[in-house]
Amino acid sequence: MSPRKRRPAEEACHAEPDVTCKRLVMEALYDFDAGTMPEAERAELERHLSACPPCVQFLDSYRATGKTLRALKPREIPPTLARTVFEFVKARCGKKS
Amino acid sequence: MRIDVSEKSVSKSDDSRAPSDLDLVRRIKAGDEQALAQMIERYHARVYSLSYGILRNAEDAEESTQDTFLTLYRKIGTFDESKKFFSWFYRVALNQAYSRARRRRPAASVSIQEHLPRFREDGHLAAMDWPDASVAVEDEVSARELAARAEEFIGELPRAYRDVIWMADVEEMPAAEIAETLRLSIPAFKSRLHRARLHVRQRLAEVSRPARRQAAS
Repeated sequence: MSPRKRRPAEEACHAEPDVTCKRLVMEALYDFDAGTMPEAERAELERHLSACPPCVQFLDSYRATGKTLRALKPREIPPTLARTVFEFVKARCGKKS
Repeated sequence: MRIDVSEKSVSKSDDSRAPSDLDLVRRIKAGDEQALAQMIERYHARVYSLSYGILRNAEDAEESTQDTFLTLYRKIGTFDESKKFFSWFYRVALNQAYSRARRRRPAASVSIQEHLPRFREDGHLAAMDWPDASVAVEDEVSARELAARAEEFIGELPRAYRDVIWMADVEEMPAAEIAETLRLSIPAFKSRLHRARLHVRQRLAEVSRPARRQAAS
């Protein structure tokens, strides 16, 4: 049996209106993702997420963005940079004195 | 102060007996060339990486790193020893890099409000705009492409946001260190970082959509 095709209506938010997607994304997502949120508030957002595929997808893409940014870090540092910098400072300060 | 140093003094420092930043500062103030070499060894990679984040060019980042240490050496007498050295020094590095960036090209940035997620009037998300994000970052080729675009999108952010996201998410510096370096409160730091992340995420979603449409056709 082929997998049931998801209809657009099923991809919409069905969460209770006390927590909107906007509040979750714009105001609460940082602390939710970082785990720096009071438990009661976290539970409230978890309830929203359980009924809101767009917010689940948004959280997923927010985390994917973070992963992408961390991948920028391993950049080759020029192996002779420390010596070059030292010689540069030495030359400039030699001229000054 | 005369600087004359042996090859040994710019080699890797012995961590087990590593002096504190403040020890090195005091010795540099007193004219100790070995201390300067140790300071360069300790911080050159971080200064280079921070500079690269602003300048996005290896040659400029290298020159900015040189200028940063020259400024350190010349201005070390103005450093207030009751403050943390790294935050003072990172500000020196940021200022050097931005000064070079201004000479090289006009600052082109977009408003932080320009690329944010869109919501309907009832506060719900308007659409799923990047449903395959986690799949994309697991694929080596698309992850490389996304990283290149992300770097570009960080570059278009206003400075206040660019510094925060580069230091937090690329350099992975602790929040308290970043807040202190940039003289921000922790809530202001969190707010800026979140806005910057939303911007980069939104831009990545925008460029990922055409790719998906092409793949589907």
